[in-house]
Amino acid sequence: MTGAGPALSAAAGVVYALILSPIVVVLLLAFSADNFILFPPSGYSLRWFIQLAANGPLLNALLLSAQIAVAVTALSLLIGVPAALALAKGGFRGAEAMKSFFLAPLLLPTLIIGLALLLAFTPLRLTATLPGLALGHMTITLPFVIRMMTTAFAAMPDDIEAAAATLGASPRRVIRRVTLPLAAPGLIACAALSFLLSFDETVISLFLSGPRAATLPVEMVRYVEGRTDPLIAALSMVLIVGTLVIVVLVERLVGVARAFGNERS
Amino acid sequence: MAYLELSGLTKRYRDSVAVDGLSLSVERGESVALLGPSGCGKTTTLRMLAGLVEPNEGVIALDGAEITRTAAHRRNMGYVFQSYALFPHLDVARNIGFGLEERGVARAEREQRVEDALQLVRLQGLGHRRPRELSGGQQQRVALARALVIRPSVLLLDESLSNLDAKLRDAMRHEIREIQRSLAITTLFVTHDQVEALTMCDRIAVMNRGRIAQIGSATDIYERPATRFVATFVGRANMLPAERGADGRLTLWGEALPAAAPSGGEVDVFVRPQRLKLAPAGEPAGADMARVSGHVLNSVFVGDHIEVIVAGPGGQRLTVEIQSGDAPPPDGAEVAVMWRAQDTLVFPREAA
Repeated sequence: MTGAGPALSAAAGVVYALILSPIVVVLLLAFSADNFILFPPSGYSLRWFIQLAANGPLLNALLLSAQIAVAVTALSLLIGVPAALALAKGGFRGAEAMKSFFLAPLLLPTLIIGLALLLAFTPLRLTATLPGLALGHMTITLPFVIRMMTTAFAAMPDDIEAAAATLGASPRRVIRRVTLPLAAPGLIACAALSFLLSFDETVISLFLSGPRAATLPVEMVRYVEGRTDPLIAALSMVLIVGTLVIVVLVERLVGVARAFGNERS
Repeated sequence: MAYLELSGLTKRYRDSVAVDGLSLSVERGESVALLGPSGCGKTTTLRMLAGLVEPNEGVIALDGAEITRTAAHRRNMGYVFQSYALFPHLDVARNIGFGLEERGVARAEREQRVEDALQLVRLQGLGHRRPRELSGGQQQRVALARALVIRPSVLLLDESLSNLDAKLRDAMRHEIREIQRSLAITTLFVTHDQVEALTMCDRIAVMNRGRIAQIGSATDIYERPATRFVATFVGRANMLPAERGADGRLTLWGEALPAAAPSGGEVDVFVRPQRLKLAPAGEPAGADMARVSGHVLNSVFVGDHIEVIVAGPGGQRLTVEIQSGDAPPPDGAEVAVMWRAQDTLVFPREAA
């Protein structure tokens, strides 16, 4: 049997509808002409987008989040990819134990990580700073990159790298000319997801943010605590579009399926 | 000292010995097959030669220099993998030119040599294709060209034809043999396919359990197998337990065999099915002929020959091959089976 039957397709459709319907609510609210959140809106306008463009704190937070996400992505790949290479190809004693160790932060509640980081960073004066927030986010993205890339490297057929070696490529050259180019789809997907994970990170950021520096999700939480106007819906709209652009970009570059290694399996 | 010299090569894995004190000498320009069942250590041997697997013991010497611990990328071995292992992200020309780029060969010369290599394997004009756009046979040629273009000290072929369909395999067999001969390149060829070994190589090393059971020409291996294992692995075989008569001579199915028996111990008699002839029951054996009697159990048409199964008095069976044009005797017919005494070999029962 190929494809899903009509019953299964209908069930999937219902689930999708349930998941996506809140987003539709946000979408409609973003174009609301009301002074506060009212659904359905009594009229439609672009006024909240215009308000958003003039909101200094939120725009600063957006900029900070973008900067952090870029730094976090670059550092996570820089550290995580060589680590994954070593874990997948090095074949050294204790590699299995280290793989589990690097997975641990992904299993730990982020609340605990956030609290631990707050306690550790306060004496170091790293709270509410860009480096502090970036380090905090890397506790999530780095294990993620190591995990994903270890799998990607391990799935690569050894013979192709062995062939490069027999043809005269030193281990360093094999990595540069064969391993990394073959892992490119995974690398691009990893970069995109690291960026989104960092950009979206809220719990750890709540612990590490302060009046001097707050990421966008933190600033948004603060905003909705105090106000009930549809400005935040307009901002959500912008974020949804931004995320979609990244996903489409990755899809265009490598194809989402290939990026996660489905091609060979 | 031979061009390529393996001595006492041993590779142990955690709970098994893949290669067990293997020694082998290969002359310059010679083509040697490592033939054996899967798990006999032939691929491990080839990988140790290429520097992809490190031996626990033993020495590999090439042209007088020891290379046992030399890194793979400094060995100049042309390795053709069973999976071809082409670089999927590079086109055919860059696949073939990979080794030349790593050697720093200048662009003009590189392009010329890649072009020559493409011509050698008859893939002219396909330089810009990606590997996945090629058929299995074409990918195989690219892998071969990529290994040859670096002018390797030794060409190593690892089950290189096993992924091709039968017809293509035949064609590639002759083609590789031609190329190997015309370039006079020293070649080691790992295979479990005896036809490949018999037709493509000057000498054959039959391997079993990490050791070389016998090494020799195709005729040696086929006509004068040194061990019971070689006899049954290469070619088709009848292997039947022999009895000893009162005078110590060997008998089979109650009839004396014109074959010398090694003293003491149980022995088996070996004779190839195509060396057996059927005769009407009661026909006497000629000089220097062996002869037993039995009845036909059944006949199987195999295409180029017919297998006639003959059962002896004890229920033991002999397979006799007759030409497929001939009419097999009816099932149940009493027949005599005859063969030349010189085609009889005797092996001790236990030895493998």
